[in-house]
Amino acid sequence: MSTDVASPTAAKDSSSLSSGNEPVISIRNLSKDYRDFWGRPKVKALKSLTMEVRKGEVFGLLGPNGSGKTTTMKLLLGLLFPTEGEISILGKPATDVSKNERIGYLPEESYLYRFLNAEETLDFYGRLFRLPADVRKQRTNELLELVKVSHARKRQLKEYSKGMTRRIGLAQALINDPELILLDEPTSGLDPLGNRDMKDLILKLKEQGKTIVMCSHLLADVQDVCDRIAILYGGELKVMGRVDELVKEQDATQIRSSKLSEAAASEVLDVLKKHGVTDVQIDQPTSSLEDLFLRTVQESRERPGRRISV
Amino acid sequence: MDFLPDPFPLLSAFLQWLAVIVVIFSSVLLITFTSNLVSNGARGAALYGQSLGQSLVEIFSTSVSRCYALAKLTFTEAIRRKALFVFVVFAVLFMFAGWFLSDPDQSAKYAKDAVKIHVTFILNVLTWLTMIVMLLLACIGIPEDIRLRSIHTVVTKPARRFEIVLSRILGYVGVGTVLLGIMSATSLVWIYRQVPVSARSELTARQPIWGQLSFLDRMGNETTAGINVGDIWDYRSYIEGATKSRAIWRFENVTPAMLTTMTDEDGKTYEALRLESRIEAFRSHKGNMDRTTRFQYIILNPERNLEVTAATLEIGDEFSGRTDGIRRTLIAETKDNESKTVDLINDLVAKDGSLTIAVACTDPGQYLGMARSDLFIRLPDAPFAVTFFKAILGIWLFMVLTVTLGVTASTFVKGPFAIMTIFTFLTVSITGREFIRKLLSDEWKGGGAFESAYRIPTYMNDTTDLPSNPGTQLIKWVDWIMNGFLWLIQQILPNVSYFNMTGYVANGFDVDNWNTLLPAVLVTIGYFIPCVLIGYYCLRSRELEAK
Repeated sequence: MSTDVASPTAAKDSSSLSSGNEPVISIRNLSKDYRDFWGRPKVKALKSLTMEVRKGEVFGLLGPNGSGKTTTMKLLLGLLFPTEGEISILGKPATDVSKNERIGYLPEESYLYRFLNAEETLDFYGRLFRLPADVRKQRTNELLELVKVSHARKRQLKEYSKGMTRRIGLAQALINDPELILLDEPTSGLDPLGNRDMKDLILKLKEQGKTIVMCSHLLADVQDVCDRIAILYGGELKVMGRVDELVKEQDATQIRSSKLSEAAASEVLDVLKKHGVTDVQIDQPTSSLEDLFLRTVQESRERPGRRISV
Repeated sequence: MDFLPDPFPLLSAFLQWLAVIVVIFSSVLLITFTSNLVSNGARGAALYGQSLGQSLVEIFSTSVSRCYALAKLTFTEAIRRKALFVFVVFAVLFMFAGWFLSDPDQSAKYAKDAVKIHVTFILNVLTWLTMIVMLLLACIGIPEDIRLRSIHTVVTKPARRFEIVLSRILGYVGVGTVLLGIMSATSLVWIYRQVPVSARSELTARQPIWGQLSFLDRMGNETTAGINVGDIWDYRSYIEGATKSRAIWRFENVTPAMLTTMTDEDGKTYEALRLESRIEAFRSHKGNMDRTTRFQYIILNPERNLEVTAATLEIGDEFSGRTDGIRRTLIAETKDNESKTVDLINDLVAKDGSLTIAVACTDPGQYLGMARSDLFIRLPDAPFAVTFFKAILGIWLFMVLTVTLGVTASTFVKGPFAIMTIFTFLTVSITGREFIRKLLSDEWKGGGAFESAYRIPTYMNDTTDLPSNPGTQLIKWVDWIMNGFLWLIQQILPNVSYFNMTGYVANGFDVDNWNTLLPAVLVTIGYFIPCVLIGYYCLRSRELEAK
């Protein structure tokens, strides 16, 4: 399997993960120009984007600020209208409101009604899906537990921290048990615990067969959860493919073992040198700061008052 | 009395409404279709058809449940954004209004006007408070939703934009209803408490039956109007005293149900047709200054040659008028000067159900001035609260219209612009409608704006023809185009006078259901339907991300 650094119009999809699966999102030559008051093109936010997202995968849209990630997301949702190109989402045009029955959307900022409390918020969005009262109540309770804000269910959102608002934002995106979930910067504003919860939840949703499209510029998060990614730059698609394939260093090998003694390490080096390998580095692997943080919090909870030894 | 309603031309009003709607929507469809063709070529027609189809589907798949949710959200938003602060303003106004409205001396003159003063004050306060609050709320709701992008989480749910516009209107109407309901109930109690005891009998709702007025001249010949005494030119016509001059009212569909039980000076009750009159006297000489001018009611049945002359009466106070009872059993004189007992209903009402009552002035050389509304049959009064709440209904309908216009404007411009737009629209509707009508009807001489601008500096009076040259021809064309534009404006300005029912309540009349309340309801519906569609179209065709 190869990885292509694609031309804007001809990015190849290197994925084989979902080949044969029906596309949930299909985008053809999608362009978007932002225009000025007189209708003259001001910014080309997206240029001839062509891609597909298939059922059951977690797809990441990456890129620096202004690369067109959020524009793509908003075009998918019908919040913006394309200048050119076609979008099919769950087999329907982006402007067809009925598609929204099967979609959950978490915006970049949790654009919620801050005068409502958590319970009222979820009840309101549940009503928009015409969920019966008992189902709304049940889903509200489940989701508040899931996103861990049930203790603050009666507080107005304007009293919430950014992270808590984000959690409610996620809960509203899941109120209809959607098939397709669009997450715009899902981990933005979350503390490391929340970040981990969010990623665990995304993986759990994937296990349930949901299709997830997320855009983020927190690359570690994307790498942790995404099956495939597309990298946009300046409104153009530059790279698309499976994450594990894209990040694999083709001309390097990694051997991982339990801790070696100095003698054993020296022997390994000798063997590798005998095979002509020159650029060898043997050291102790490090865990991520995120892992360290989560472990510390976990132990603090289990043994309060004790200093944690790392 | 300027609250005498003109018959509402239901059919012609409906046809005019339909014509305006058809013209507006055809124009919009034509323009959008053409622009689609221009920007997308042949594919534009298909896209246009698809979009139109989707719109129709969206409109017809409107969900009550979603509308309820969105309307409730709007209601909650308004309440939690301190819309109820209006009650503080209301309370402050009421706490201090008594200082300015009441008369510590409780003079008789004050008592006479106390009801008018208090009712007018209350209804004006309610109208202005409600309109200002609701205009602000209605105009900022959707733009704020777009600015804060909270609308993103709504339109990405199955909520149709049609439902959003409709529910916003319904939600704000709900808020306005609560505000107005509480304030009006409080106001009614306040009025009962503030009005002096001596004036409380004026807190009533007269239910008048209006007749058609015609005149006989001094020789007894039919005439279109009475004499013009030079006092009032248009409103009242005058009849001359001690001549055959008469003012004749013809009341339709008179039935026994219109009779009222009245009490005479001895305390005995009798069945009578109650008449209320406000007749103005014009004295051509001093006459007897110890009393007012005298008149007589004459009840006629030409079919049976019957004529009943009631006792000679003195006209009442010009503003409070007088009330008289025409007894059911009367003594009639036939043309043969014979007297016989007649029944008011059975003998004096014509076969077609009409009753003819003439008014004659009995003082020689004096004149009585009358207009159509100066004499009416007064049915048993309804409670004051009935007419008061009908006037509140008028304010409520005006509020619905304001909210509808405000929400519609807010779908295509930002909040402050929407407020200014609708404020201007309503101000022109209230103050400029008559002005535009006069301009267009040539009632005012001197031509249009440009012709006037030419005449003023050239000191040319409005009866002189303009000189014929290309310049003046150009002026006339420009004026013609501007008048066409004014005509278009006139077609879309609502007749908001229907919503103002203060005149009825302040003067102790029941609000006319058919000629005032119904038109107010129809005007509101007439604007509600196209506004919701226009609002939907605007919201659907705009990118909600756009700043």
